[in-house]
Amino acid sequence: MFWMQLDRVMGYWPVLLKGISMTVSLSILSLMIGVMLGFAFGMIRAGRNRMLAQIVGLYVDFFRGTPFLLQVFIVFFILPEIGIELSAFASGVVALSNVAACFIGEIVASGIKAVPLGQSEAAASSGFTRVQQMRHIVLPQAVRIVTPALVGQFVLLIKDSSVVSAIGLLDLTRSGWVIVQSVPNGLLVFGIIGFSYFVICYPLIYLSRRMERRGQATIL
Amino acid sequence: MIEFSSLNKWFGALHVLSDISLSVAKGEVVVVCGPSGSGKSTLIRCVNGLEPFQKGKLIVDGTELGGSEASLRDLRMEVGFVFQQFNLYPHKTALENVTLAPVHVRKLSKAAAEERGRALLEKVGLADKMENYPHQLSGGQQQRVAIARSLAMQPKIMLFDEPTSALDPEMINEVLDVMVSLANEGMTMMVVTHEMGFARKVADRVMFMDRGAIVEIAAPETFFTTPKNDRTRDFLSKVLQH
Repeated sequence: MFWMQLDRVMGYWPVLLKGISMTVSLSILSLMIGVMLGFAFGMIRAGRNRMLAQIVGLYVDFFRGTPFLLQVFIVFFILPEIGIELSAFASGVVALSNVAACFIGEIVASGIKAVPLGQSEAAASSGFTRVQQMRHIVLPQAVRIVTPALVGQFVLLIKDSSVVSAIGLLDLTRSGWVIVQSVPNGLLVFGIIGFSYFVICYPLIYLSRRMERRGQATIL
Repeated sequence: MIEFSSLNKWFGALHVLSDISLSVAKGEVVVVCGPSGSGKSTLIRCVNGLEPFQKGKLIVDGTELGGSEASLRDLRMEVGFVFQQFNLYPHKTALENVTLAPVHVRKLSKAAAEERGRALLEKVGLADKMENYPHQLSGGQQQRVAIARSLAMQPKIMLFDEPTSALDPEMINEVLDVMVSLANEGMTMMVVTHEMGFARKVADRVMFMDRGAIVEIAAPETFFTTPKNDRTRDFLSKVLQH
């Protein structure tokens, strides 16, 4: 019985593959946008402009403090009401990269604040502009400090991407729902789905742990 | 070269610099000493704009402090600053520490900056440490890299904020030697330090500060042998007994 079911699940490999590629492409795209936006958020949060830092802080807190599923619904169902109509994939990318940016922004801000003040003082004393100080002196050190936390966040992002199955995207999770309708063994099907997520995430977990072990003294 | 006129600074209610008037000529070496909290670090941090002040005037190399960001940057290119805690860039090698500002601020070519950087690191006795990262260097070596880093901008003025206070005793001299040779080359310098031997050897004037004010300023000969003020005498008896 078990082997027959496993055989049937394996017969659905094109669906599984489609789900995996959707999850991976959704994650990678959201990751790239989220990192860029997140660094901008982080620099503003740690920056000198109090007002701007607080506005971004409020925005970030809102998205960190509400369920991600709700955010996906807002993008997919509510935005069209005000004339912004996005495909399911685009909605997924918008919601995911936005929430990723919020978390990444806080991580980056904490990294920037962890770089000793003497570093930017030394750079300022040599005539570096604020932007140059950030780019050549502060950010490289901040990134080194927060890399393990960032990679951990990337893993969370991949797992959170499963939520977009709720708006009909055929991602890895939804491919499980599809398969389980013809192979009525939820444990088996979602066991395989879970394992697939693990295979995608594990290299990142491994990387993060290795970087943590090597510590901050090492020069990347 | 450096001209303080009735400069005042407060941290909240605390009057950290009170009515500082002082003029440092080109090529002059002024050593600033005083008990901790006397405002001596704050004073030299004002010279390159690391500390703002509320009242009075400070003109450095023809530029008045408190102007635009751009004019402050131009000024900082001409004023080197050496910190107590070195503040080397930990993610850069010694040579990169020295060449970073010349390349990005002075817009020197990488080759020209490296040539200058190598020459300077050789001058401070670190020819064999160019590719080392700061954490691989001793405190004295790090501070010498920091001095070379400032010199790479070819400044007209060098400011030293307790450059040997964070060093183990056996490393103090290697740093002081570099500063002595710099003074002998005619660099305009303001040095906050408790190294009275250094003050005796190279200072044109020694200044004693207490509670944010200049208590006494004189040539080293006079300063050490016949200090006028009680507080100066008291301070000197404490720092000179060893």
